[in-house]
Amino acid sequence: MAQIDLKDVVKRFGPHLAVKGVNLQVRDGEFLIMVGPSGCGKTTTLNMISGLERPTSGEIAIGGRVVNELEPGERGLGMVFQDLALFPHLTVYENIAFGLRVKKVPQAELDQRVRAAAEAMHIASLLAKRPAQCSGGESQRVALARTIVTNPSVFLMDEPLSSLDAKLRVDMRTELKRLHERLKSTFVYVTHDQAEAMTMADRIVVMSKGVIEQVGGPLDIYRKPASQFVAGFFGTPTMNFLAGEIDARDGTLAFASRSLREPLGDALPPSLAGRSIVLGVRSEHVEVGRGETPGRVQLIEPLGNESLVFFEFGGDAPLVAKVDAETRLRPGDNLTFGFNPAGYHVFDAASGARLN
Amino acid sequence: MSEAQVSQAPRTAPGARSGSFGRGLGAWLAQERVFRLIPFVAVEVIFVLVIIIPFLLTIYISFLKWRANRPFEQAYLSGFGNYQAVLTDPGFWSALGRTFYFAGAAVTLELALGFVLAMLVARTVRGKAAYITILLVPMMIVPVVVGYNFTMLYIDSGPINQLLAPFTQAMGLDPRIRWLSDPVAAQWAVILADVWQWTSLTFLIFLSGFSALPRQLVNAARVMGASAWQIFWRVELPLLRPAIVIAVVIRAMEALKIFDPVVLLTAGGPGTSSQSIAFYLWEQVWVFNKFSFGAAASIILLVIFAVLIFFGIWLLVRSSAAVGRERAA
Repeated sequence: MAQIDLKDVVKRFGPHLAVKGVNLQVRDGEFLIMVGPSGCGKTTTLNMISGLERPTSGEIAIGGRVVNELEPGERGLGMVFQDLALFPHLTVYENIAFGLRVKKVPQAELDQRVRAAAEAMHIASLLAKRPAQCSGGESQRVALARTIVTNPSVFLMDEPLSSLDAKLRVDMRTELKRLHERLKSTFVYVTHDQAEAMTMADRIVVMSKGVIEQVGGPLDIYRKPASQFVAGFFGTPTMNFLAGEIDARDGTLAFASRSLREPLGDALPPSLAGRSIVLGVRSEHVEVGRGETPGRVQLIEPLGNESLVFFEFGGDAPLVAKVDAETRLRPGDNLTFGFNPAGYHVFDAASGARLN
Repeated sequence: MSEAQVSQAPRTAPGARSGSFGRGLGAWLAQERVFRLIPFVAVEVIFVLVIIIPFLLTIYISFLKWRANRPFEQAYLSGFGNYQAVLTDPGFWSALGRTFYFAGAAVTLELALGFVLAMLVARTVRGKAAYITILLVPMMIVPVVVGYNFTMLYIDSGPINQLLAPFTQAMGLDPRIRWLSDPVAAQWAVILADVWQWTSLTFLIFLSGFSALPRQLVNAARVMGASAWQIFWRVELPLLRPAIVIAVVIRAMEALKIFDPVVLLTAGGPGTSSQSIAFYLWEQVWVFNKFSFGAAASIILLVIFAVLIFFGIWLLVRSSAAVGRERAA
């Protein structure tokens, strides 16, 4: 049993409030990813779970036991650090054995467990080497082997893939997910990379400025972001945002700005008429060649299977649309576009909260 | 006056004053192939003047029979006579042995104290800058002042004896330790003054070592359940090895030349019981005027110390190469 409960957890560094009262339950065996921009408090939250930081107030429980006063080593967890933190003066074998040695595990058992962990991470041939002699991917596996060897019920990972090159990072994602399937332990993983969060997580926690913006499954967060911040953080390219207000002139609600007027359907209560809003539309819901609004192409970004078209239409910022890879559009071409109303995200202009 | 006129004035002035020769020399020096050699030539000239020539002269003098209170014209070549005299002089060997004893004791204490102080200060959060400044003061004080201060501290009824009195009396010893006139106490008087002054340096070296320790490694060890003691022995100490080697090499090289506290505190006494090799050399040359004897002794010392320094540098290069390899990734 390794459920983690955070109750009103606050962390203050001098005058700076890094984490402003976080309430979160990490279910047993779950792969939970905390994601957010630098300085949003995700790593601080992770460090409070690990015990490297003490919460200023609030309660942290692992497996039902309050751990606020326990040392990191007494919490029964394993951690992989951003720069891996392998001991440079020890061999791979001794790095993996470290956690067992400090717990005075008998030599025979230690040797057997180190070799089993190395075997599991496919690094048995590296045991005699020093970390400096290992490649980036190998070091990553050593760090994982060092963590799994102590059989922790909770794995904490602080941006462990950030030092790898793009290709290796994608491979390691699959590997981590497989490791989670096999171990069935609770994983808490911190990253600023939304793609990592989307691909690996059972649930995602989006943080910003020390508070949780949204908790949910990857698709929930993508399809129904709770705030403009979450909407902008997830998805590539970034969601299109149009500032305007809700207009109720013809009896139905519509989005109106200087250059656009789009009916919003009946997803919103009529009481919102006149409210300043931000309309969010993902690039896949911008339909080029469908509607009647004219625009002019600025830039084409081919992605291979499809292309991104950046065009301006008289609004504050250009829009981006996903189109077929075979598009004939060229910069400077004129086009017409419309929106798919199914992809509307309506946010309050002042608070950023979702309205529909 | 406009700016153009101001900047023109100095450009024409030197040529006009030093004439065509000066202009020619200036132009020759300004050539790319000449100009880039100027710094090298300057360094080489200084090197030859202050190192090579005195060194060759020392070798030459070491083969002469010459005392400075006689005219140089009476000096004559004596082959290896001086070398034989040095190597058979028991005073030379006992001064050399005592120097190793001083250096060994002083450097050991300096390393231990500097290490502990650095460890404590590295963990301090508040007032760190103040502690560092205070702990570096001894190193910045002129050795003559240190020596003078210690002669006052060491007097029979001085503060050191007063502070030690409760302990010396408890052990049934005479509380008036004769720091500067007892043969054994005088040696420790010299050692302790050196320790007081140079612990600052080892402290500084270790402090930089401690601040360079990657915080994440300690965190990783903590999460794996290592105690503070295990973290120290298994993580911090091995990673500080290069700093330890640097401190040992630098301090040992310096301590083998120990001179100031000997002159200022004991003048090598009582008798010759606190003479270091540097003091012995100085006394032979400048008190007994045995210039050629001193020259031979310094050549012998040069050979002995060169071997030690070579060994020290070998240790240094080896350990920094090891760390370089480890940090390469």
